[in-house]
Amino acid sequence: MKKFLREHGIWVLFAAAVIAVALAAMSFFSNTSSPLANVAGIISSPFRNAYTSVATWFNDKQAYYTDIHALEEENAALRRRNAELEAAARQAEKDSEENKRLRELLNLREQRRDLSDFEAAFVTEHTVTNWTSSLTLNKGTAHGVEVNDSVIDETGALVGVVSEVGYNWCSVLTIVDTDTSLGAQVFRTKDLGLATGDFSLMGENRLRLDYLPAGCQLIGGDLVVTSGLGGYFPEELVIGSVEEVKRDDTGSESYAVVVPAVDFNALTEVFIIKSFDIVT
Amino acid sequence: MLARNEIIFKWTLYAAATALCFLLQSFVLQRVTIWGVIPFIYPVIVAVLATLEGPFSGTVFAIAVGVVCDVLLPGVFPCLYTLIFPLAGLCAALISQSWLPAGYLCSLATSAIAFLMTGIAQCLLLMIREKAAWATGISVCLRELAVSAVLIVPVTILFRWVFRRTHLDD
Repeated sequence: MKKFLREHGIWVLFAAAVIAVALAAMSFFSNTSSPLANVAGIISSPFRNAYTSVATWFNDKQAYYTDIHALEEENAALRRRNAELEAAARQAEKDSEENKRLRELLNLREQRRDLSDFEAAFVTEHTVTNWTSSLTLNKGTAHGVEVNDSVIDETGALVGVVSEVGYNWCSVLTIVDTDTSLGAQVFRTKDLGLATGDFSLMGENRLRLDYLPAGCQLIGGDLVVTSGLGGYFPEELVIGSVEEVKRDDTGSESYAVVVPAVDFNALTEVFIIKSFDIVT
Repeated sequence: MLARNEIIFKWTLYAAATALCFLLQSFVLQRVTIWGVIPFIYPVIVAVLATLEGPFSGTVFAIAVGVVCDVLLPGVFPCLYTLIFPLAGLCAALISQSWLPAGYLCSLATSAIAFLMTGIAQCLLLMIREKAAWATGISVCLRELAVSAVLIVPVTILFRWVFRRTHLDD
């Protein structure tokens, strides 16, 4: 090597200078890169592409894992938020229903100033035997509830009458139970009658209106309300509407089949009328 | 002949089985309506136990179940079940001793009688109150029996298990 450089070094330097000058001249006079740089670029291009692809792949993967972690956290946060919003929506719906009930009750209170003392109660149990139609409520003597108190829903429709009271519960016989009997009046005609539970109709959630005056002209849909006579029940509580008028087995008297205004199976909250003013 | 502590153990097990049936009625059956009626397990309990234990024990047990039913269930007549269930229990025990040996068929027959007696009593009460509805009453009674019949097998299995567990020497 030493010998080669001593003998040909000057020529090597000369050749290098000539090549350098040539490259400089070519790059000066050419619009593209020099052929050597071009060749080097062409050769290195696939390697560069491969390197870039690999680097990009790693970067993407890194970014992917970083993103997925962030997305997981964001997803968890959104799920929590969604659960909170759903809970809020449910509560709002519940509040809205309660609000509606209370508004109706307030309206009822304003309309019916004779109904002075209400007690709101929840239905804890529906009918428990096939021979009675009853409800169990979560209010009792501790809340001032007494036997024979009337029970209504938020619209003022009669649900039934308290039949048994415990400390924090009471049983209510609904208006379709066979043991229920109420003085009733047809709102349109002012005809008086007796609304009683009938076992044959109880299964269909119906009751009958008996002792109608001869020649009374009832039509389907006539509203039946409590008469208030005798002072046992407040007057003008809605019992239901006339479905049809029938003749009894003897054929001598007619009675009306009444559809209660209340859907007993759908009841969740009711109001017990603890006291009322007797209107004469 | 069982010793005193064995008798106590037996009736404790019967009481537990009965409590289980009461829970089943209150929490599950109460919320099921088939053919317009709710399944009613109590007459089945009375009939099944009476077929296994005989007239005296069966009747006493039926009185206890009747009292609990009258206390828990609403009704116009406050001691209907206390009066009817002992009769049903007695009938069931006599049938199992005379005609049908205690078993599923006997349970079915005696339960049917218990339901029929309860239904007739309810119809009589309606009649007394001038609200007779025999056709509807019998229809309810038969539907009640039909939907409660599926309970006869599990109740019989449960009470027979207690009986066998406590009568190992028989």
